[in-house]
Amino acid sequence: MAAATRPVRRRRRVRIPVARILLLGFFVAFVLVPLYWMFNTSIKPSDDYLAIPPVWWPSEPTLVHYEAALFAYRGLDGLINSVIVSTAATVLSALLGTLMAYSLARYNTGGQHLSFWVLSQRFLPPIAIVLPVFLIYRGIGIYDTHLGLILAYTVFTLPVSVWMMYAYFRGMPRSLEEAAMVDGCTRWRAFWTVAVPLAAPGIVAAAVFAFIACWTEFFFALLLTSRNAFTLPTVFRAFIGFQGAQYGEAAALAIVSLGPSIVLGVLAQRHLVRGLTLGAVRG
Amino acid sequence: MADVKIRGLHKRYGAFEAVRGIDLEIPDGEFTVLVGPSGCGKSTLLRTIAGLEDVSEGEIEIGGEIVNDMRPRDRDVAMVFQDYALYPHMTVAKNIGFGLKARKLPPAEIEARVQTAAAMLGITGLLGRYPRQISGGQRQRVAIGRAIVRSPRIFLFDEPLSNLDAQLRDEMRGEIKRLHRDISTTMIYVTHDQIEAMTLADRIVLMRDGLIEQQGAPLDLFERPATTFVAGFLGSPKMTFLPGRLSRNGTAASILVDGGLRLDLPAGRALGGAEGRSVIVGVRPEHIYRAADAAGPGEARLDAAIELLQPTGSRTYATFRIGGIPVTAELEAHDAGRPGDIVPLGINLNRVSLFDADTQRAI
Amino acid sequence: MANIAVTREMKAAGAPPRLSGFGEWCDRHFKWLLVAPAVLLILALSIYPLLFSLVVSFINYDFQIPGHAFVGLKNFELVVFDPVARRALVLTAILSGTSVLIEFLLGLAVALTMMKSFRGRGLIMSILIVPLFISPVIVGQAFTLILQRPFGPTNYILSQILGGEVNISWLTESPWLYFSIILADVWQWTPFMFVILLAGLTAIPPNLFEAAELDGVNAWQVFWSITLPHLGPMILLAITFRLLDAIRLFDTIFIMTGGGPGTQTYTASYYLYTVGFTQFHLSQATAGSWLFLIITALVVTFLVRRLLKVETA
Repeated sequence: MAAATRPVRRRRRVRIPVARILLLGFFVAFVLVPLYWMFNTSIKPSDDYLAIPPVWWPSEPTLVHYEAALFAYRGLDGLINSVIVSTAATVLSALLGTLMAYSLARYNTGGQHLSFWVLSQRFLPPIAIVLPVFLIYRGIGIYDTHLGLILAYTVFTLPVSVWMMYAYFRGMPRSLEEAAMVDGCTRWRAFWTVAVPLAAPGIVAAAVFAFIACWTEFFFALLLTSRNAFTLPTVFRAFIGFQGAQYGEAAALAIVSLGPSIVLGVLAQRHLVRGLTLGAVRG
Repeated sequence: MADVKIRGLHKRYGAFEAVRGIDLEIPDGEFTVLVGPSGCGKSTLLRTIAGLEDVSEGEIEIGGEIVNDMRPRDRDVAMVFQDYALYPHMTVAKNIGFGLKARKLPPAEIEARVQTAAAMLGITGLLGRYPRQISGGQRQRVAIGRAIVRSPRIFLFDEPLSNLDAQLRDEMRGEIKRLHRDISTTMIYVTHDQIEAMTLADRIVLMRDGLIEQQGAPLDLFERPATTFVAGFLGSPKMTFLPGRLSRNGTAASILVDGGLRLDLPAGRALGGAEGRSVIVGVRPEHIYRAADAAGPGEARLDAAIELLQPTGSRTYATFRIGGIPVTAELEAHDAGRPGDIVPLGINLNRVSLFDADTQRAI
Repeated sequence: MANIAVTREMKAAGAPPRLSGFGEWCDRHFKWLLVAPAVLLILALSIYPLLFSLVVSFINYDFQIPGHAFVGLKNFELVVFDPVARRALVLTAILSGTSVLIEFLLGLAVALTMMKSFRGRGLIMSILIVPLFISPVIVGQAFTLILQRPFGPTNYILSQILGGEVNISWLTESPWLYFSIILADVWQWTPFMFVILLAGLTAIPPNLFEAAELDGVNAWQVFWSITLPHLGPMILLAITFRLLDAIRLFDTIFIMTGGGPGTQTYTASYYLYTVGFTQFHLSQATAGSWLFLIITALVVTFLVRRLLKVETA
């Protein structure tokens, strides 16, 4: 037997993935830059706008733009309307969506046709709906009301709510509801006292996505509201046009609007893939 | 307490028929085990009795009333599920009392019953905890408690021990048997485990492909199986099946097993049929033993080349071949010898089972 | 361990209270009652309006021309033969196709870098998904602030980097304005691709990669023969969803360019908006939106069928 040779010691070189760091760094910067510039603009005094080189961080930050955006441009009213409409639509959408999803998941109600029909609503081009809805709303007097927008938003967010909850219910074993029924519950009671509490995390996730969708929606709000029920995104209409004086206000309003949706979105990260793909994929 | 009568039961899912015509009568107070391989329809049958599935055809009668159209909640049955099905968002106490609450019993009575049931099962200390905080065995007790507390007329068990480890399973088996002894309610128990079936049942109903293959007392099925399927299902290690042909020699009959072994049937085991009839001999490991010097009556002898030994303590399972077919014998540990040894073995022909090769039925 | 020493002291609890007639009916029709509210709402606010708009497409409904006479296919003709409409449709196709392609490639690259876990990955993840939760209007606004001449820093930065003076009007000068629109779209929606593709990548069983490593396969081959095939269905899913959303492009156009200059950045949706809500040729707009709906339906059907075929394969 040959004498054992000393094992060759290989120095372990840590390979720093340069390409990976570069790419990620670039992309993170890419994401952050517009947000930074928007924040920067919102606190810059107007005199700094035309400065060359551009002012990267104002020496005298000001909140003047925020004040103007919220009050002079009625941003606060838009904010309040957005809160009302988004919350109401979210609650309605989560409720109706959960009911329907349960029925589809446990009883396969309406078979493939019903589920496909609901799913396809997600891809309906809004312009095709908004025109007639505009005429209808004007006809029955709910144009430019909270109610009108709430109903429209509920329909608009239903497909995602239904599909997220459908996937969620499919993942829950039936035995709990069956035990409840053998124990003495009617179907409704078994649903309400056993299935729904258990589905709470899924319902919350669906609600978060519905809320964000309503909060950021522009098209419907633009065309179905006017002076009364206008939402936050529509206020940006006032800033169109190439007069530089309003950029601070526009930026300020944008920052105000970003807050809730970003916070909620990051919190709901875990369910993100499910929400984006209508529950087709588990993230 | 009630009896259960099932007549002509069929259950179809679209084109697939899970239960293909079952007639069954379960007397009041009996412990009946529905056993069989997966897909045989036993769980489906249980669920139709519970009311969790509709019946395609046939009738189910509980305590004299036909319950086909009754909701589960109205049938006064209790069910213990395989995954315990405890409500995760409720305490143990609330889990147990849930059915009573649905029946709108006064809170004081609910409390009393829950305490009684918990005391019976030794889980009083767990009443304030949540299902996720207790062990598998404890959860199973809670599930049983939830069933007991209502004093239903029938208990249904759907493979309740499958999720427990082997030791817990043995324990719980004993407890369930004791439970039945103490409260004598009609119990219908589904399992795929033949040991559970043998140890728990007053009556075994062995199912296969949606039909009842054989039903009766456990020992009946074990010692007098009606078909090769029943014979092969019960008993572990499994019965060995040796194909062979009938051979007549005057009044004596013997079977020539493939591989050359000749089994001279004892007088008590007359066999009809023509010369050359194909039969199957079913031999259980315990029918084979180390042969003494003198041949006994009804014994077949052979010298076996031991291939494999599996000692289990007091007994050893020795595997050898007859006509190429591996046969397992249950021998005393000191009788087994070593692999490669030739050991004289005897087969007790009074105890072996005989089946017709064409129909697979016992003869 | 207590044994179950039981006495038969507990009476049977019996059956629960019988349901009223109404309760019976509700329990029997439970599954339909659950879907009813949602279905009714969708019928009322989606199907009914669609049918209504179909009817409107065939009559005259115009704030500028009185009366609601039946006009046959005239509204459809107005749209089909309008050069602005045709250009809008083409532009929609080009913009959405380009955007989705870039988003896919970029998203895939980022997903690949984020596959293995490393310190700070969670934080970076949270940062990268932020664009998804922002209103497209705000995204448009943000890029307007950056690109707008002379207040945005873009021209200044480019001048510094390239050495010479850069004085592009990013929001009015062709072809740069298309670039701006695509930039805004890519910024917002690349995370969409990235998130979905990452989910797909993490679903690939790691032992496939380990086996490849043991076999000595190089990274490029691993990508082509292991990663990409496994990712196939996910890629199709992501592209389908994204494309169907991209063809509806409106919000960013509205804020960034207002469709202009002239009609140069009209997308299909913007064109229909203009016709219906600024010129108030409502019946022409509904006719156009029905045509657009049919085109969308064809694209959906084509893509979804391919998607389902891949899933069942």
